[in-house]
Amino acid sequence: MRTIKSWWLILAFVSGFALAMAAEELILSTHANRLEFSAPRLHFLVGKPLELLHNAAPVSFDVQATLWSGNHNHVFRRAAERFVVSYDLWEEKFSVTKLQAPRKTASHLAALAAEAWCKEQMSMDLTGLDPGEPLWARLEVRAQDGKEGGPVFGRGNISESGISLTSLIEIFSRPAQATQSHWSVDAGPVMLDELLKRSHGRGS
Amino acid sequence: MKVMWLLAVVVAAPLAGCGGTADDDNDLQVLNVNSRYTVESVHVMGLHRLKISDPLRSELDQVIGSKYDDSVLKKLADRIRKELRASDVKINAVRGSEPDHLIVNFQVNAHEQRFDLNMAKFLYDSKQGWTGDGSATTHIQGNAFTFGLLSDGDSLIERFAGVRVKFERKNLGTDRLQLRFEFDSFHEQWNQATLNAAQPSEIYRTRQVFTPEATVVIAQPLELSFGVSFARFRPTAAAAKTESANAVVSTLRYHRRWGSEQELTGAYSIRSATSVLESDPAYTRQFVEARYRFRHVHNSVEIGFLAGRLNGHAPLFERFVLGDSARLRGWNKFDLDPLGGSRVVHGSIDYRYRFLQAFYDTGAVWDRAQDREQKQSVGVGFKKEPFQLAVAFPIRAGHADPVFYAGMNF
Repeated sequence: MRTIKSWWLILAFVSGFALAMAAEELILSTHANRLEFSAPRLHFLVGKPLELLHNAAPVSFDVQATLWSGNHNHVFRRAAERFVVSYDLWEEKFSVTKLQAPRKTASHLAALAAEAWCKEQMSMDLTGLDPGEPLWARLEVRAQDGKEGGPVFGRGNISESGISLTSLIEIFSRPAQATQSHWSVDAGPVMLDELLKRSHGRGS
Repeated sequence: MKVMWLLAVVVAAPLAGCGGTADDDNDLQVLNVNSRYTVESVHVMGLHRLKISDPLRSELDQVIGSKYDDSVLKKLADRIRKELRASDVKINAVRGSEPDHLIVNFQVNAHEQRFDLNMAKFLYDSKQGWTGDGSATTHIQGNAFTFGLLSDGDSLIERFAGVRVKFERKNLGTDRLQLRFEFDSFHEQWNQATLNAAQPSEIYRTRQVFTPEATVVIAQPLELSFGVSFARFRPTAAAAKTESANAVVSTLRYHRRWGSEQELTGAYSIRSATSVLESDPAYTRQFVEARYRFRHVHNSVEIGFLAGRLNGHAPLFERFVLGDSARLRGWNKFDLDPLGGSRVVHGSIDYRYRFLQAFYDTGAVWDRAQDREQKQSVGVGFKKEPFQLAVAFPIRAGHADPVFYAGMNF
């Protein structure tokens, strides 16, 4: 009887942990003293950006990872990257380039693989982080999917002069934050030593 | 100086906020996997009763056979949108019938914009003060009616302020023929240097100009405008009667783009005022101008040239001026020639890297050959079209007094 109870307890703990993991949209792991992000439920190659990509237009995505330690007011580290994604109309595969040095490109990727590749590039150095302190993390993605074909100042003919009010209104009433596609996932609080143990356990 | 700081902040804010869109376009083009494919055909859809002009159709046709360039297509979509006054034009690309080819469709949302406001020029020049030129246009059944207000202390030897009314039809039975009527009514203000140098009879206080003009597209990208300019001006001298300067005007224009990197604009114009049109002064004014722009990634070079010649005794508004916000920047036009000149020649080279610009101007304005003296100037600034902030220095011995320019579209 005692044995059965223990199994139930373990099962309850494991299923609770699994449920928590499933509910957690941003999954943290460590590798070689770097914090790595995965977010299998975060998809940004969807909607308007995907529509643009399927029309052969390249789309830029700005990705930012933020790590808080100790409390939610103390930003320990922040990293931002810009990725340019394009979709090969003939091969039906995505190509992604990370713009900041060192510039990297991955091509012939399916949508999920392209998204995962971007997230992988956001890993963070953990040096200086106290393993005993709680930490929180956030991964944000913003698509530069502004109005296609929209005029931006000075794109006209060199003899053309003038900026139309319509263009101005269009530009200033198109605040990127309001209309651009954006996503955000969070994780935490979680202890670094827990993450290290988990990663070590997976590694052994 | 406080005003300059204020202007710097006002102009720099949008400069900082606009982002390097043109540069970004180049980056995106390089990184677009579809840039290796060739455009097989281009279609404009959703036109219904609308029709795009032959010149624009010609530009669309130029894309066929070239490599897929999203930034070029966006510019063409914008041109279609402007020409048709459509609310939106989307680019739709699909696989072509041949391998490694793409078909491009421009999808027009033909909801017409009937009303627009335009700020053609807004400038603060630390020597000449403010210049502003704004207008409102409404489109009715293919006709454009424009009403504008302006005060310009930059482009002529006089400051002129007043109204501008314009009627324009861009399709007169055919896309190749356009018609335009313009009426301007201005009041003049004069710089003391000009008043000291001019004969009292040369100074006028009001000026009205009526210009009916037709434009024929000879062969893309060449077009010819011709018409008549009826100008009446009232000298300030108490006993003087109103004078007329009526001239036949004709302008030949050329404008061509090669991809997104190169662009050439040229024009030759002639105005001939004769007694046949009951003009008081008789004169002929010829003017030629060309600009070439080459842009590659973040770099842009623009080379400009102009020359003009005036025969006969023309009113002051016809005389050539250097030392404004576009020509021989950094010089004060009243130091160069307070009456303007009957001959002019000018060249400039502008280099831009992202927002930073540097320029060199050289030119001369004169009446008699022995008075001809070549002047030079250099300048630096920030430019994110249409906004610009620049400081220019005349190159001369002794004290060099810089001129600051700030504003848009100058």
